[in-house]
Amino acid sequence: MTMKTEVSRRAVLAGTAAGTAALAVPGVLRAQTKTVKIGILQPVTGALAYDGQQGQIGAEAAIKAINDAGGIKSLGGAKLEMVFGDARSTPEGGTAEVERMQAEGVVGIVGGFASPICLAASQAAARYDLPYIVDVGVADSIVTRGLKNTFRFGPGFGMVTKTALANLAKLNDEAGKPAKTVVLVHEDGLFGAGLAKLMQAELPKLGFEILDTIAHPTPARDMSNIALQIRSKNPDLVIPSSYYGEFALLARTMQQQRIKPKGIYAVLNGAASNYRFVKEFNEAAQFVMDCNHWHDPRKPVAEALRKQVEASGKFWTYNIPLNYSCVGLLADAIEKAGSTDKAKVTEALAASTYAGHIMPYGPTKFVDGQNQGGAPVNTQVQGNDIKVIFPSDFADAKPVFPRPA
Amino acid sequence: MIRAYGPALALIALAALVPFAVSANTVLNFVVFALIIALAAQGWNLLGGLAGQFSFGHAAFFGTGAYAAAILQTRYGVNAWAAFACGIALAGAVGWIIGFLSFRSGLRGSYFALVTLAFAEVFRILANASSVTGGAAGTLVKLDVRPENFQFASRGAFVWIAVALVGFVLLMTIAISRSRFGAWLTAVRENEDAARALGVDTLSVKLKAITLSAAITGAAGALYVQYYLYLDAGIAYGAWISVEALIAPIVGGIGTAFGPVLGAVALHVFGEVAKAVAGGIPGIDLVLYGLLLVATIAFAPDGLMGLLKRLARRKAQETR
Repeated sequence: MTMKTEVSRRAVLAGTAAGTAALAVPGVLRAQTKTVKIGILQPVTGALAYDGQQGQIGAEAAIKAINDAGGIKSLGGAKLEMVFGDARSTPEGGTAEVERMQAEGVVGIVGGFASPICLAASQAAARYDLPYIVDVGVADSIVTRGLKNTFRFGPGFGMVTKTALANLAKLNDEAGKPAKTVVLVHEDGLFGAGLAKLMQAELPKLGFEILDTIAHPTPARDMSNIALQIRSKNPDLVIPSSYYGEFALLARTMQQQRIKPKGIYAVLNGAASNYRFVKEFNEAAQFVMDCNHWHDPRKPVAEALRKQVEASGKFWTYNIPLNYSCVGLLADAIEKAGSTDKAKVTEALAASTYAGHIMPYGPTKFVDGQNQGGAPVNTQVQGNDIKVIFPSDFADAKPVFPRPA
Repeated sequence: MIRAYGPALALIALAALVPFAVSANTVLNFVVFALIIALAAQGWNLLGGLAGQFSFGHAAFFGTGAYAAAILQTRYGVNAWAAFACGIALAGAVGWIIGFLSFRSGLRGSYFALVTLAFAEVFRILANASSVTGGAAGTLVKLDVRPENFQFASRGAFVWIAVALVGFVLLMTIAISRSRFGAWLTAVRENEDAARALGVDTLSVKLKAITLSAAITGAAGALYVQYYLYLDAGIAYGAWISVEALIAPIVGGIGTAFGPVLGAVALHVFGEVAKAVAGGIPGIDLVLYGLLLVATIAFAPDGLMGLLKRLARRKAQETR
């Protein structure tokens, strides 16, 4: 019990300090503030640990870059200070960390990764009108709840599926319509099941025949049965929506059993645009296409960051540029607000036209918290690299479809 | 009377003072979560501890309470407080049905445990696939902070509600263990055949126990959703809550009234302390937490209540 009162006393002190700071006259604040605290929330333990760690890399790199470039200039060069929280891959873990970050006096929070964490954490932040920028979470409900504090920089689920379907039709048309039949493989959670449902409704309209829809749980340890089902249906195209482990397993099993459809077209797949997959299962990964978040290869900062990450022995995944950009977005809003006042930062975010990010989106424009420019791109594994094949104005490779036998 | 209920009342009064003593929301948030787990654990303890029917699937009740409370509000516009009550009732009903199906066919011990586990899994898969529950996208209760919506601006209000619920169940558990029903439960736990031979209607006793147990754990689920406002199949019917509900009484002291509360609070305080001590490396606090758990089980096999009793006895002997 004594321990508890000690913790609370300290927390109360921290809270009071933060409160006084926030209430202080802006002029005084400007003179006194040397650092601006921002919250970085990622699931670095539990089932989503890998993605969380990748997100953390991006956020840390952005904070370092901003601080090296002179911090927040409108606040007299105040440096960003990271308050990191481990969401433990659960919504209540995320909520607990939001409470702590609020007590430590952060100006805004970036991250969450998975939709359930983003939903719960942004709601907890909304109680304090604390700005919350979603890094990945694609559930459409994140931005349709009418929360004023919540912003999503990347595309939501609806946008991703729309793009994925449009590009699939284009890809098939340009290749002379080699694909007519499809088998859907999806994980039975939020994004896999939702995606499969949309695909089932939309693919027939585009002239594809769905031969089968196969669901699997996450985690799944064996994909042989699914591979055998695919073999028996012999589709032209396999559309998988799974997390990293399951898709890597499926791709490898298909390769072992020599199941070679004309193409594998993944949507928001955990593996298909992940260099770890390309490196560890290169043969199985060849010509796998994905529609996913991806950095803008035309931007030098993006490529430099990628080199830097790879030089440190880490794999490049979309979490890194997304978090890098989201931290940049928050810093830009603080810069524009010229204040650490939460309401002013929220206002600056809502009016944001931030173009310094490294995603292929153009300047930000938020409508009801959703960045209108946020869109996925299509990638394809070619050799040892992941190439952008759509949209064509910044694609760095031509799609290889149908894949060579 | 005072000897039986005094400590519980004192504890409840003390817990109710927490929101006055502490204003940090971080701490209050922690207290609410620990109490939600304590409530779920109290439910488990009634069936597993008092009646000796170990369940591995209390998630089935937690999830039913939570989903009912959430869906009635979001889909049918039922008042949040009424939805909360319906959630408890429905969880109790599910408890009765599962109990009826398994106890009637004479399932005991590990077979009963496995059946409850299976029920929870089936519920999880159904909730994940059904459109009523929002499928895999889950159910979101709209953030609308008004007392009539069972949503409060201050975390302190939630602490009071959680304390009231946990306190009520605590007193009820003490009352049950002092009652004739409590004696029947003990009889069923110690030797079911002997109990039946002595004229105890074991089926009815076990059914009452599982219904009550399910309702209590369902209340924890309904409170969870009211607090976090988001639910998906993995949260509602996931194995995590079955494990939490079972491990808290084991650590605290199976079959005792205070055990589940003590266990849940101690475990989560352990967790927080480990987090504060560890810092730096992600996950190291979980390792520390695991070690503490092992140490507790190793040195206090009867749980913390057992340990306290042993210490008290030793002290009494020393003073003699």
